[in-house]
Amino acid sequence: MDNLYTALIEAIRTGDPEAGAAEAERLAQSGVSPLEIFRECIEPCLKDVGDQFSRLEIFLPEMMEAAEVVKAVQVVLKPYLKAGEQAQVAKGRIVLCTIQGDLHDIGKNIVKAMLEVNGFEVKDLGVNISPTEAIRAAKEFEAQLIAISALMLPSLPYVRDAIEMVKQNEDYRRRFKIMVGGGPVSRDWAKKAQADGYGDDAIEAVKQAASLLGV
Amino acid sequence: MKNATRLMDVIQRGLTGPLMEEDVFNRQVTLGLRRVVKEYQIHLLPDPIINQDDDLADRVWQAALDFLVVCGVYNQSTGRVILHSRDELLRGLSDAPEQVWLGSGRDAVLEHYRLVEDRRVPVNMGSPIGSPIPEELFIPLMQSYIQEPLVDVTCPASLMTVQGQEIRVGSPLEILAAWEEVDLMRIALARAGRPGMAWTGLMLSMSDAGQLSAVNPLGLRDSDMHTFGIVSELKTNFEILNKLTHSIRMGGIVDPYANPIYGGLGGGTAGQAVLICAAMIAVSVVFMAACCGSSPTHPFNFNDTGKEVMQASSLAFQAIARNSHLMTNLTITPVGGPGTKTLLYETAAFTIMSTVSGISRLLGPRSATGAVAGHFSGLEARFSGQILRASAGLERGRAEELAQRIYACYAPQLDQKPYGLPFQEVYDLPAIQPTKEWQKLYDETLEELIHWGLPVA
Repeated sequence: MDNLYTALIEAIRTGDPEAGAAEAERLAQSGVSPLEIFRECIEPCLKDVGDQFSRLEIFLPEMMEAAEVVKAVQVVLKPYLKAGEQAQVAKGRIVLCTIQGDLHDIGKNIVKAMLEVNGFEVKDLGVNISPTEAIRAAKEFEAQLIAISALMLPSLPYVRDAIEMVKQNEDYRRRFKIMVGGGPVSRDWAKKAQADGYGDDAIEAVKQAASLLGV
Repeated sequence: MKNATRLMDVIQRGLTGPLMEEDVFNRQVTLGLRRVVKEYQIHLLPDPIINQDDDLADRVWQAALDFLVVCGVYNQSTGRVILHSRDELLRGLSDAPEQVWLGSGRDAVLEHYRLVEDRRVPVNMGSPIGSPIPEELFIPLMQSYIQEPLVDVTCPASLMTVQGQEIRVGSPLEILAAWEEVDLMRIALARAGRPGMAWTGLMLSMSDAGQLSAVNPLGLRDSDMHTFGIVSELKTNFEILNKLTHSIRMGGIVDPYANPIYGGLGGGTAGQAVLICAAMIAVSVVFMAACCGSSPTHPFNFNDTGKEVMQASSLAFQAIARNSHLMTNLTITPVGGPGTKTLLYETAAFTIMSTVSGISRLLGPRSATGAVAGHFSGLEARFSGQILRASAGLERGRAEELAQRIYACYAPQLDQKPYGLPFQEVYDLPAIQPTKEWQKLYDETLEELIHWGLPVA
């Protein structure tokens, strides 16, 4: 990566949103294209962050902090993006939740952070979310992907309900892909339930999301 | 303070403590752990699995107390933080029991607080601990554990269906499943000739309604362990407190657990060790546990037999054993499944680490990470029973040598996820005995461990 981005990379690595936003602003004002900043600095830097987490060389808090820096940078750079460029930096919008009856959230939070550092825009609905709530949120957020986590066996029927609701409605089927994961969810189960994607951990979830959204 | 009095106190604090958004609490956990790790100089060497440094263990204990005083436990139902001062935590810890009878009649066993390197053998809770099992296999599967002489208490698998119907949390099917779990366990205990053996329940009851329906004198008994998990990290809610309230009023053995995720809010091994220790203090003081349980989890393999998780667990549980009289338990969650040596190696290393680190009860093995239907069997609980007896009283230096040697045998396999074979392929079902092949692997592995110097009787 170019020395031009040393300060911005440092801000992402140390999880400093203020420094990151200030440096992004400085770069944009000095005439560096926001698209170049994303492609030459942020994307490779975040990929590196995600790779480090997948090797457990860094941990969830550091990854969440890196994602926070990037959110701050996105806000600062948005006014500098020309028409049509916003779409070029966005990889896709995802709503993420733990399903109804299940209160586990750390695994979901890891998936969220991994998706964010890999460039996806994620709306985290939290835990104990019903299928109807998840679909309503996906409509409101204009998501392309609904990602659902379940950690307990008796909550799986609600995951299947969510898949059915998407698949049985032509509009939803056209608008949303649906991806599932979590302890009791297996690849076979996901296939039988007609989910579009399955991730058995956060690393696989990112690969699946990228594949489903064609990025 | 008696449990009933403390219960009112905890409920009150959960209704009146400082208001906080959940994200802010999560951040507080991370920042709080970072602070105490730095202030108390919690640094682990990269290689040893079993902690050899008593001063480090004592600093972890002090760091955990300091952290918990500031951070508290979050009540998701009210958005408030349950806080205790250091003195209140210490008073609560001093009230915790040092021993407890589990079960009834001739099947009762005494669980007691243990020291680091204690010669007394921890209680062996041989069990698949909530791993999924088809209904038709539930009784023979559970019999395969209960009939083992080296298994002291147990915990059921999770039924995948009830009367053929998929179980759905929050529905009448969950209540039927809770009763089915009790009924089938009673049959399995009777058939194995150990009707008074204590067991931990309920595995299928995620909601308070499910648990409360079958916790009564006709269901889960007061001589059994009443379990519930607190939400990671350091969170509770009214459903959990409802379960706790009912079990305390029932006079049951309160047996909660907290499973911090490695690499999560606690970060690496140092933060994870402090977090595990703090979670066990919270489980004792806030949730009035008779025995404080944990199964720290790897974020990708979902096991606890990897080096980092064992390092953090060993340090945390030594910190507790050296500074309190809490009874504690760990769950073995191996990646390997039945019919693999990986499972037996993982079980051996984890059991040695846990035993010398001062736990009072060992749970599991929850084979194949507890996620693969039917991939567990009673034979591995016989194995953990053998290792518990052999490693009680080992010095930590010797235990470390053995753990390292065993770890080297399975570490390369973990990413391959060798889930092995299902119960019905490693057991002769009519006889409920392991197949010759599975028994042969068991015998070979035990011989290897004896050859390496593990003093198996």
